Amino acid sequence: MSAIALYGFLAHGIIFGAFVAALPLGGRRRMLALAAIPIALATGIASFMHGVVGTPSLTLLILAVWQLIAIKPSPLTYRPALALLSFAMPFYAMALGLGPLDPYAPGYQPLPLLVAILPLAALLWWRRLDGWLLILAIDLAGYASGLFANLWDALFDPLLVFVALAVVVRHHARRVPNDG
Amino acid sequence: MTLPRWLPPLLFLLAIAAAAWRAPAPAAPEFSRPPSAAADRAPASFTAAMLPTAAPSAHAATLAELPDGRLAAAWFAGTREGAADVAVWFATLSADGWSTPQAIATREGTAEATLTHVRKVGNPVLYAEGGRLHLWFVSVAVGGWAGSALNHSASGDGGRTWAPPVRLQTSPFLNISTLVRAPPLPLADGGLGLPAYHEFIAKHGEWLRFSADGRIVDKVRMALDRRALQPAVAALDERHALAILRDGGPAPGRIRSATSDDGGRRWTAADALPLPNPNASVALLRLRGGRLLIAGNGASNRNELLLWISDDAGKNWRPAPTVESVADAEAEFSYPALLQARDGRIHLAYTWRRQGIKHAVFNEAWLDGGTP
Repeated sequence: MSAIALYGFLAHGIIFGAFVAALPLGGRRRMLALAAIPIALATGIASFMHGVVGTPSLTLLILAVWQLIAIKPSPLTYRPALALLSFAMPFYAMALGLGPLDPYAPGYQPLPLLVAILPLAALLWWRRLDGWLLILAIDLAGYASGLFANLWDALFDPLLVFVALAVVVRHHARRVPNDG
Repeated sequence: MTLPRWLPPLLFLLAIAAAAWRAPAPAAPEFSRPPSAAADRAPASFTAAMLPTAAPSAHAATLAELPDGRLAAAWFAGTREGAADVAVWFATLSADGWSTPQAIATREGTAEATLTHVRKVGNPVLYAEGGRLHLWFVSVAVGGWAGSALNHSASGDGGRTWAPPVRLQTSPFLNISTLVRAPPLPLADGGLGLPAYHEFIAKHGEWLRFSADGRIVDKVRMALDRRALQPAVAALDERHALAILRDGGPAPGRIRSATSDDGGRRWTAADALPLPNPNASVALLRLRGGRLLIAGNGASNRNELLLWISDDAGKNWRPAPTVESVADAEAEFSYPALLQARDGRIHLAYTWRRQGIKHAVFNEAWLDGGTP
């Protein structure tokens, strides 16, 4: 069994626990969420998620741990979620064959991408978004460890984009009554 | 708890420095110089026989020559294509004939090794690289073949034992829709270039470049329209290569092609070859004398298995002797695999009526019209 297989399997167990933590389960929510992790690992839920969704990004794993620990509100608020959606949707469309360019390919030799990340990191630091800067640092450290062959896979994944979509939809759904 | 203002940027800088150190920056790719030798002068020969049966339905054979001269074949077989009991089977040909097929990749074994749900396994590709025998094969978690992920395993003892398969990361969207059908080409830096293809929503050929240590260091899309798949590639020299592809569009189809003039860094669409393709897999082989050989089907169905030869690096093609031809349009002789062994003999393996894999051995004199 490879390191990436083990990572993906365990990470999906944690992500499943984080989904449980997001459910309205009252005061026992965190305990139930933690109990959901071994259940997901033992019952095949994690391996099914791993097979269908693929290897989760480190960003998603960190946000899942964040959700489970719940020390502070998740940094995946409306604006970061909208930014991720705006980037990921055309990215996936092109990667799946829309147009001649494959944006995924540069992630295998990512030196230019790393250079492009520098101003993003400077912006995060300037805006005092330390949480996102630390997530980015962990993503890069994960890539440096050799776990991910492609840098993009450490940064984001379709399940994270789906979560971002849910954050954006929920934001607008909550605004509707106020706007009315 | 509040972090010091300087700590996050410091950690970020350390991480990005480590990532930059890790990021591969390989030299411009070059193909290994194709082997060249005088054309085989032996008298014409042709023999054909079925491989041992592994299961009721068999498909998608692949060939490799082991260091000791034995021929190795792999294919997938089970009760029917896509069934849960389908496995990748492996057998070798020695002076004593074909060995009993062994399952070398199963749905259950792949799921266990990759810790993922696996619904079915499919197309294998073998490649012998020194004493190491590579196996790539596809697996699907949900849906059809368009949802395939690519797995890799290797054997260091001629196929007796295999390392647990590893699922490769080749696509950002659910890691799906990377399939293989044809063998890789060796690269001058010790790496490999593996022809692959994508068929979720759009169909296109791809080229995966592996470093000498087996890491994917590049992925290139073959610039054809959205209906070409299953590339098979032959290097013409260190920089030039020809890829031929299955025409996934409406009939009547023709064999599609793409070329590279920079070692596989870019692939440019070329004119379709003047050869038919009924939406079926094709095989391409550069013979040691420099000629190119294609195996594929006739215009309408898979009931003919034909060969074509080019003496001028793919500019012109002429028919070679027919391998299979029957009137029954439902008969299927398909998914050819070609290999020229070190002794000069040419091996062809193909799906025979979905009931098994047939293996034909012939030489260049037979291709040129000689009678065995």
